[in-house]
Amino acid sequence: MKDSLRRTLWISRVTFLEAVRQRFFAFLLVLSAAMVLSSVSLRVFDFGHGELKFIADFGFGGMFFFGSVLAVVMTAQLFFSEIDNKTALTLLAKPLSRPEFLLGKFFGAWAVLGVFVLVLASLQGVVLWAREQELIAAAEQAGRIPTTFSIVGLCQLVLLQWLRLGVVIAIVLAISSLARTFLFTVVVGSLAVVAGQLQWIAQDAFLRPTDSPAYAAFLWISTRLIPNLQQFNLADALVLGSSAVEEGALIAVCLSGLAYLVAYLTLGSLIFRQREI
Amino acid sequence: MNSAISVRHLTKDFRIGIRGLKLRAVDDLSLEIPRGQVYGLLGPNGCGKSTTLKVVLGLVSATAGEISILGEPSATSAARRRTGFLPEAPYFHKFLTGRELVRYCAQLSGVAASDLDAAVEDALGLAAMKEAAGRPIGTYSKGMLQRIGFAQAVVHDPELIILDEPTAGVDPVGSASIGRMIHAMRDKGKTVVLCSHLLGQVEQVCDRVAIMDRGKLVLEGAVEDVLSRRDRHVMTIEAMTPAARTAAEAALEAHGAKITSVTHPRRSLEDLFRELVTGSRDA
Repeated sequence: MKDSLRRTLWISRVTFLEAVRQRFFAFLLVLSAAMVLSSVSLRVFDFGHGELKFIADFGFGGMFFFGSVLAVVMTAQLFFSEIDNKTALTLLAKPLSRPEFLLGKFFGAWAVLGVFVLVLASLQGVVLWAREQELIAAAEQAGRIPTTFSIVGLCQLVLLQWLRLGVVIAIVLAISSLARTFLFTVVVGSLAVVAGQLQWIAQDAFLRPTDSPAYAAFLWISTRLIPNLQQFNLADALVLGSSAVEEGALIAVCLSGLAYLVAYLTLGSLIFRQREI
Repeated sequence: MNSAISVRHLTKDFRIGIRGLKLRAVDDLSLEIPRGQVYGLLGPNGCGKSTTLKVVLGLVSATAGEISILGEPSATSAARRRTGFLPEAPYFHKFLTGRELVRYCAQLSGVAASDLDAAVEDALGLAAMKEAAGRPIGTYSKGMLQRIGFAQAVVHDPELIILDEPTAGVDPVGSASIGRMIHAMRDKGKTVVLCSHLLGQVEQVCDRVAIMDRGKLVLEGAVEDVLSRRDRHVMTIEAMTPAARTAAEAALEAHGAKITSVTHPRRSLEDLFRELVTGSRDA
């Protein structure tokens, strides 16, 4: 067990080093950071919402979108670079099992996404804090109650976003294990992310009565096969305190995310074991 | 159990296309590769050599047949722990230095932390890569890639080393260097399986050979046995004059023997190349 963990760790380490050297990672990180920073200048387009909400929506939107793109493309690239360049041949000829290889890829990619989320969230926190100070000063002068944001909520959101991206990575790795090409994996992985964002529609439909058993079965399978990625989007509630989030609900979201993560990694490992390298 | 690798009735089919057409890559192959020898697996491209090695290493599954490595079923990690592998045209992570790659492979192969530094330096020394070990792999020439590939294959001191086309694309100097590494492994009592279609090199370094064609084994045996023609002899004579030749022919004829050809001995182009190109050790 200890040896297995160690081997997984070595694969993760090299995967992480390979990923952070990619220009694609640097490009998306800079682009997302620019988006977070530009939210201050663009706050005039707040559509009547609070300024902090606009800044948070804009920044977290960038983190969500570019994080998803990074999770899908980078994970597929990291997997297929090993297969296509045949470095996997060298590694898998060693006493390294295929689940260890896949887990190593997962943890390496997840660590990169952790850096991505942490950097952006830190930047977002600084931007929100700076604007909050200005708003507090202005509100004191005007005798109004200032709008604030929660640092603890921001930290919770960072963890939730990281978990969401972990689920996306696990899905992409499961697809990669089966797929023959990088392009197929990216296309199907992207569709899976979109399906995950829209899963709540299937959930709503499933709760409504229907006469068609086939339709009910389809909805039942869809709602269980595809994770609800929208459930991780609690930025308003956690960071801006727009509504209270029960601790139990937060734990349920985390457990659901972890369950999907483990399920997709297990599925990926089972498929990858049968794959001919 | 004296065999390093035992292959019994191995068959491997690949399914190709949407209709799943069957392509037989290896057809009922049986081989016993003895321990402590250099064994050459020869054959033209597409004859099933690499597929056989991949099945042996558990990288692809067999359609039928049984394979064991050093007495263990081939797909187990216990078998792979005692095996080193250099794939054909090896490609490694370019951002790692040679030393980092060998270290990484040693860690994956289960070398103990206390032995790690010594094992890495030994392997780099054996592959003559100590000087370039601090450079990123992306800056290596083809010959250096093969040598660093050899170092990662032997860093955990395996009993069995499998080399798939180790000299493909490498110049004769680099090729000779790899030949010396193979000899060094044999001198240490290791079993080396060499898959190649460079027949000259195989002849020089191998103790036994197997020749495959269209997935089947067509010949197997000790190099000396399969190559020598017991009914023919070669003599090299210095300062032979026409008179001496006539006298020799007469003497041989008197004993019922006959000279069938007289030629001047030639050195090989490879020997000439290596003699002329010195000091350029593929750096």
